[in-house]
Amino acid sequence: MTGLLTVVLFLPIAGAILLVFLPKDIPGPIKGGGLLVSLLTFLASLAIVGRFHDGIGGFQLVESHAWIPQWGINYTVGVYGISLWLVLLTTLLTPVVILASWNSIHKHPKEYVISMLVMESAMIGAFLAMDLVLFYVFFELMLLPMYLIIGVWGGKNRIYAAIKFFLFTIAGSLLMLLGIIYLGFQQVHLTAGGVPTFEITQLYGLSLPPHIQTILFFAFALAFAIKVPLFPLHTWLPDAHVEAPTGGSIILAGVMLKMGTYGFLRFVLPFFPDASIHYAPLLICLSVIGIIYGALVAWVQPDMKKLVAYSSVSHLGFCVMGIFAINQASIEGSILQMVNHGLSTGALFLLVGVVYERRHTRMLADYGGIARTMPVYTVFFVIAMLSSVGLPGLNGFVGEFLILAGSFQTHPGYATVAAIGVILAAIYLLWLIQAVFFGPITKDENRSIPDIAWNEIAAVVPLIIMIVWIGIHPNTFLRRMEPSVQQLLATVRGEQPEKVMTASLAAAATRSPVAQTLLSVRSGARMRGRQGLSVGVQGPKGAQTEVSVLRVTR
Amino acid sequence: MTLTPLLEPHWMNAVLPEIILSISGILMILFDAFAPKARGAMAPLAVLLLMVAAASESMVAGGVFFGGTWETGALTQIFDLVFLLTALLATLFSREYLRREQIEGGEFYALLMWGTVGMMMMAKGLDLLIVVLGLEMLSICIFVLVGYHRRIAISNEASLKYFLMGAFATGFILYGTALFYGACGSTKLSDLANFFQTADPHNPLLTVAFILLMAGLGFKLALAPFHAWAPDVYQGAPTPVAAWLSVAPKVATLMALVRIFWAMGPVAQHAGWMHIVAVLSILSMIIGNAVAIAQRDLKRMLAYSGIAHVGYMMIAMLTVREDSVAAVAVYAVTYALMNVGAFGVVSMLAKNQNDPQTLDDIAGLGFRRPFYGLALSVCMFSLSGLPPTAGFVSKFYIFKTAVESGHSTVALIGILTSIVSVYYYLRVVYFLYMKEGGEGETAIDSGVFGVAALTISIVGILLIGIYPTPLFERAGAAARALLLGQ
Repeated sequence: MTGLLTVVLFLPIAGAILLVFLPKDIPGPIKGGGLLVSLLTFLASLAIVGRFHDGIGGFQLVESHAWIPQWGINYTVGVYGISLWLVLLTTLLTPVVILASWNSIHKHPKEYVISMLVMESAMIGAFLAMDLVLFYVFFELMLLPMYLIIGVWGGKNRIYAAIKFFLFTIAGSLLMLLGIIYLGFQQVHLTAGGVPTFEITQLYGLSLPPHIQTILFFAFALAFAIKVPLFPLHTWLPDAHVEAPTGGSIILAGVMLKMGTYGFLRFVLPFFPDASIHYAPLLICLSVIGIIYGALVAWVQPDMKKLVAYSSVSHLGFCVMGIFAINQASIEGSILQMVNHGLSTGALFLLVGVVYERRHTRMLADYGGIARTMPVYTVFFVIAMLSSVGLPGLNGFVGEFLILAGSFQTHPGYATVAAIGVILAAIYLLWLIQAVFFGPITKDENRSIPDIAWNEIAAVVPLIIMIVWIGIHPNTFLRRMEPSVQQLLATVRGEQPEKVMTASLAAAATRSPVAQTLLSVRSGARMRGRQGLSVGVQGPKGAQTEVSVLRVTR
Repeated sequence: MTLTPLLEPHWMNAVLPEIILSISGILMILFDAFAPKARGAMAPLAVLLLMVAAASESMVAGGVFFGGTWETGALTQIFDLVFLLTALLATLFSREYLRREQIEGGEFYALLMWGTVGMMMMAKGLDLLIVVLGLEMLSICIFVLVGYHRRIAISNEASLKYFLMGAFATGFILYGTALFYGACGSTKLSDLANFFQTADPHNPLLTVAFILLMAGLGFKLALAPFHAWAPDVYQGAPTPVAAWLSVAPKVATLMALVRIFWAMGPVAQHAGWMHIVAVLSILSMIIGNAVAIAQRDLKRMLAYSGIAHVGYMMIAMLTVREDSVAAVAVYAVTYALMNVGAFGVVSMLAKNQNDPQTLDDIAGLGFRRPFYGLALSVCMFSLSGLPPTAGFVSKFYIFKTAVESGHSTVALIGILTSIVSVYYYLRVVYFLYMKEGGEGETAIDSGVFGVAALTISIVGILLIGIYPTPLFERAGAAARALLLGQ
């Protein structure tokens, strides 16, 4: 079926347009319609996985139509290993969000569902677009519904948060727009014939002069660093998260932040390889600061949502570090960690929203001992929390392990410091669990909280399934992204794909025991092919390795 | 020696829309005088006549007429259509506004039409005197229209302000024209172009002439630092007039500037005149966007935003070539749709016109009256240049030509100031959707005409934003035809 990607891309927005014509006083059918549209989109996106060929590093299912031919701007969409799972994450999270807000959005439900669906289309579009301008259009389009979601359905301080969010992101992206225009202009100058194009596959091979690379690198990197958000540009994030409604937080943390890390992978590294390699230490340094800083600040938060928000700063720091460590393992780990973070933090925000609905407070001090009154809820929360901590057997471990192991090869010092972030994550999240769920019940209100409801269970269960699946069989996911990552590395290093593969593995093998373990894990994964062992089974061993990372550098 | 005939064959076709509009204006006045009971039919009639004029554009013969003083072509056609579109939207919004204020009269529509004729003359004139004539014709219509709400003080004040300042501006333009005449012995642009081929770029006479001309035209454009009148006049003018005034005269002046800058050719670059224009453009972007933040009055805010938008358009004028002229044309179309649309919603706020229309008046409108909320939001997003609206592609076009012509710094300032602008445009959306309207909510008073006009705006903005190719093709071809004679 040609046009599959277009269908997935425009299905939500088409649904949103239909919903506009429904009367606004029937919230049930409106939410149902929204859920149906998002589920259909999810099913359609499963077909993308079905049609995805594993061994290909380039773009697949590509569709291209002329859009603004005068400027060489086309409607070109395609999917490759790096974007595949992010698209799936988006289509999975949207029905989850609609389900989760089934009973919590009372004000203007129609506009809420419409905003969510527009948001979904914009996010999918940004992941699929193979034309820079098309990407930019979707990248910006995301801001409008999110601005409304925070500003209309948010908490007390929502206006401040919404405007801050919007201004921060638009400031970065407008500078990137100038960068995009300049890049297109440079491209015309540098290539023989000089046909204008914004097609990213054409721009990948472009060898820009170093000073221009530097300028453009910063124009793009700033936009994505704000989105990630990288320390010190993260200040909008806690505000936005705390004020956003639960659904908004899930989408914001689950998918929107990934636009930043994804942008680094898709545009910054391959467009400006020299500048990326040159400035990689700067970005790694900032991300490591973010990892530690985010974790420390999360530790002292009295507000659950703020705690999870700061943990995002920390976790996304891992992703950026993995990307700029520029090697196979760390980048694969980053991509996986983007998905992991979407699942685990999405689940955490969802579950924080559940108790907030019941008690209208998110302060840790107002809870305590609710494991007794909400046993089912506690199980889900603990699983999501452990995934976020990086417990072997759940998804977070695999991602963080790959990132740390990969980064250790290129930047051992930073990787060591970052590993402390893992420990800190365990501290603050266990602290959260301790304060909220265990101990004596100190507040009378907590004695009679109703346990998690059907719609909330329906929303969280898919996330938990994915958390466990990635944890015990990451190869389902890694296998499909591997060729694309190889190709990306080849572009960055200006080499042929096969050579890179062997070179990096050989280098890895000679350097450190950690890397050797990694090599064995990875080559094992390759030999095992479709069924065999999984990293999850090797959990304890992996945990030891993680500890040894610390020991080696000490 | 052969005498060229003063009137070329087909000359009637070259001025067909102007003739239709002039006669239409007379008709409107007579209609009001002889059938005062049938006033309700006036606005539909005006709309119909404007559409006839627009339809007649297809019969206009291209070429140079009246002894080389008048040029029609694909580009003037686009600009004519922008004038007519603006007049049409303003007429649609006026109908309900004038009725609410009980000041409807045939001369209102007539003045809009005659003003449009003046703008068409400015856009088509190949002689500076024709441009000045068109400008005067337009200005007189504006003086009256701004003061049309004659029983309220601020309308009169606005009219007087515009009249006094406008008289000076016209004086400057005439002085500038006279100095150019003194230097080259002709006011025809073709003669000026020949003269500038060999002119000494450092001749102070020319520089003074250029500055005088820019000051006068800058006034009409509301280009900083000649912008001070704009907020006061827009605030005082009947809102549909402000809508029209904020777009059409600026577009007409830009078209005249395209011709003048093109005639000056390389001299303008050598003499550093374009630095002056760049400074004006940067000043407009900074002042317009910065001061707009402080405005709570919607009309004043839109006035300052308009100052900034002229600044953006002037970026493209820094190097006049096919692409930049096409960019200006595209921006003009977009600007007409979004700015008139935004003013249109403001014109529907039913309250005492002596009081300012502030942000509080639209609080909660988005959920109270979804259509009007949506319309204003779309206009705001387009004005701030966010995709997928026309504002985005137009701004993209402007910045693209700027980067290609080597004006990256100005483009960078443009981008930085548009970040600022997002704040106040977004604040409107914030009031629309995130603020609860209090006790004394301002009602929206609108009928079929207003809804029709807003629909045109929204559909136009989204259509150009999503599929701009046909407009780009036409504008590109028209600009090539104008500048390169293809």
